[in-house]
Amino acid sequence: MPIHEKSLIDPDRLLSAEKLVIDGIDVSGHWNTTILPRTVPDYDPEFQKKIRALPGGENVHRCWQCGSCTNACTMYAINTDFNPRYWIYCTNLGLTSEIVKDKDIIWQCVSCNKCTNICPKDVRPEGVMKALAHWLEEEGHTTRSNPTLFDEEFTRQCLERGRIEDSEVMFNFFKKTGEDAIELMKKGWLGVFIARMNNLPLLREKRILPFIARLPIVGPLKMGWAMLFKPRTRSWGRTGEVLRAYVDEQKRKAQAHG
Amino acid sequence: MDDTILIVGGGPTGLAAAHGVASVGRKAVLVDKADRLGGAPILSGYAKLVPSGEWAKDAIGRMVTRVASHPNVGVHTSTKVTALEGEAGDFRATLSNGETVAAGAVILATGFTHFDAINKPEWGFGSFPDVVTTTQVEQMVGAGKIACPSDGRTPERVAILLCVGSRDRQIGREWCSKICCTVSTNLAMEIKELSPETDVYIYYMDIRTFGLYEDKFYWTSQEEFGTKFVKARIAEVTIAPDGKRLLVKGEDTLVKRPIVIPFDLVVHAIGMDPNEDNPEIARVFGVGLEKHGFLERGEHYTSTFGSTRPGIYVGGSALAPEDIDSCIAHGLAMAMRAVGELQARSAQPA
Ligand SMILES: Cc1cc2nc3c(=O)[nH]c(=O)nc-3n(C[C@H](O)[C@H](O)[C@H](O)COP(=O)(O)OP(=O)(O)OC[C@H]3O[C@@H](n4cnc5c(N)ncnc54)[C@H](O)[C@@H]3O)c2cc1C
Ligand code: SF4
Ligand code: SF4
Ligand code: SF4
Repeated sequence: MPIHEKSLIDPDRLLSAEKLVIDGIDVSGHWNTTILPRTVPDYDPEFQKKIRALPGGENVHRCWQCGSCTNACTMYAINTDFNPRYWIYCTNLGLTSEIVKDKDIIWQCVSCNKCTNICPKDVRPEGVMKALAHWLEEEGHTTRSNPTLFDEEFTRQCLERGRIEDSEVMFNFFKKTGEDAIELMKKGWLGVFIARMNNLPLLREKRILPFIARLPIVGPLKMGWAMLFKPRTRSWGRTGEVLRAYVDEQKRKAQAHG
Repeated sequence: MDDTILIVGGGPTGLAAAHGVASVGRKAVLVDKADRLGGAPILSGYAKLVPSGEWAKDAIGRMVTRVASHPNVGVHTSTKVTALEGEAGDFRATLSNGETVAAGAVILATGFTHFDAINKPEWGFGSFPDVVTTTQVEQMVGAGKIACPSDGRTPERVAILLCVGSRDRQIGREWCSKICCTVSTNLAMEIKELSPETDVYIYYMDIRTFGLYEDKFYWTSQEEFGTKFVKARIAEVTIAPDGKRLLVKGEDTLVKRPIVIPFDLVVHAIGMDPNEDNPEIARVFGVGLEKHGFLERGEHYTSTFGSTRPGIYVGGSALAPEDIDSCIAHGLAMAMRAVGELQARSAQPA
């Protein structure tokens, strides 16, 4: 008889050896299935402190588990595994493995802030979702999100030269995310972007000369030049170093506060 | 016809009643079976009271001094009432010290008995020295040191189990003891104050910090003192394999999962039982008991705090679990009733 309830058990608690022979009897496969107990054996009091030290997580300890956030949540309506109330509880008790288990959905928060508006204890669950996603990323449980990769490249250039080169930001962004720029141009948002920059209706009307006259040529040329020669803001000097040291210092302080 | 009022029980309720009676120029005789006045907060050595934050010995101490030094009040400690004859307006009470008191009215302020945690053996009290009650922790706070009784170490982690001896059909206690949630959230703060490195977890079914106790105790305990709240009624407390720490077992209802968590100190938030003397009190004074075993009240709206027998009033935690502020209000209300009744009788032509 098939065990229907198997679907209710976390896959990582279901153990069955591919090949297992006991006393000459072959019990390979599901004959030897063992279910690990789901007992919570301890709390980690440090975890709440870590999350409170991250932007957005400051009020997580106020939660009293009323469930208003989950009930109001845009994502919960689509996927009942998306449960901010639950992750907040796990954060407060330090049930870290439960958070890691949901690493592939926590980041899906759309920041609609319905939860923040309804929460009677001013926990700001939306901020907690951000802090949790941040923590998962920092700990290497999730790959770095696209916005993070973009921010990193943007910040790097700012600090190095006191200015950014749009084309270089985009170039390195695509390199790091591994997204296919050509595909994005054909089908994705990049195509839409280029179409908006150029006056395509002129082309459709076969008014070739006015179309070419409107083509952005000088801009892209300048951008290409800047990408090769990487100009710095005048007298930038050690400014970047100082700024970086300041940002690191602030981060350390925020962590220590938890 | 006698214009003395007999008050039985010298806790917060009886003390408030005695002062009320004396302050309008009537005579009160205050009888308490304990060797001093003050009731549970003094006899059990409570630390700081909710909601005032004053030490019990100071706050209740003032109530005691005010009554004991009043010329209109006679006090009998280590004494019980053994018999009561007569009727409203003309009672004669016999005391266990052999004296008799003639009284026009009787106020019963006989209070409650702490739940004996030994009656929930699965939670380890009596089996493991590091399982204690809220009254014991009150005393530790009073002495200024939180320690595990087994070896005197400072606990790294404390679990407070709510509703021990309350809200439990298993042991025939179908009431909420009203004050233990507030007392426990307050004790968690006091523990943290004395030992900042100790983490306190409260295991609850509901948090009933009524009225203004909500933010002052529950929220502050959680938000400023870091008390953690876990929604679970504990099934069992056992000893860990190391023979030292305690294992608290139950179901965390919010993660739908069994928990087995190690703790250094487990505290039972014990409830308020009916006074164990109540059957005797009912017999001696001829008053009724309600179904849980507390003293019964008569019609309330036009005969406030009247018992089931005319001329005998009942209030405070003798009626039901109560906090001190309510007890004081009951005491004063009973004084008003008793004095008013004597006044009306003396106005009538004999
Ligand atoms: C752990 C704990 C902490 C608490 N902390 C607080 C707090 O911080 N703030 C708060 O508001 N409330 C607190 N309470 C509740 C508080 O203890 C009660 O509200 C209060 O003690 C009730 O006063 P009472 O006078 O009605 O009864 P009691 O305090 O019980 O006094 C009754 C008196 O009657 C005497 N007596 C009993 N039977 C007889 C008899 N047969 N003959 C003669 N005398 C008799 C007793 O010796 C006693 O002195 C706490 C309760 C507990 C269990
Ligand atoms: S902000 Fe995120 S967690 Fe909050 S309701 Fe919207 S999707 Fe849900
Ligand atoms: S609405 Fe606020 S208090 Fe309620 S469960 Fe969500 S975060 Fe916690
Ligand atoms: S006051 Fe709180 S701890 Fe006490 S019986 Fe009621 S719910 Fe339980």
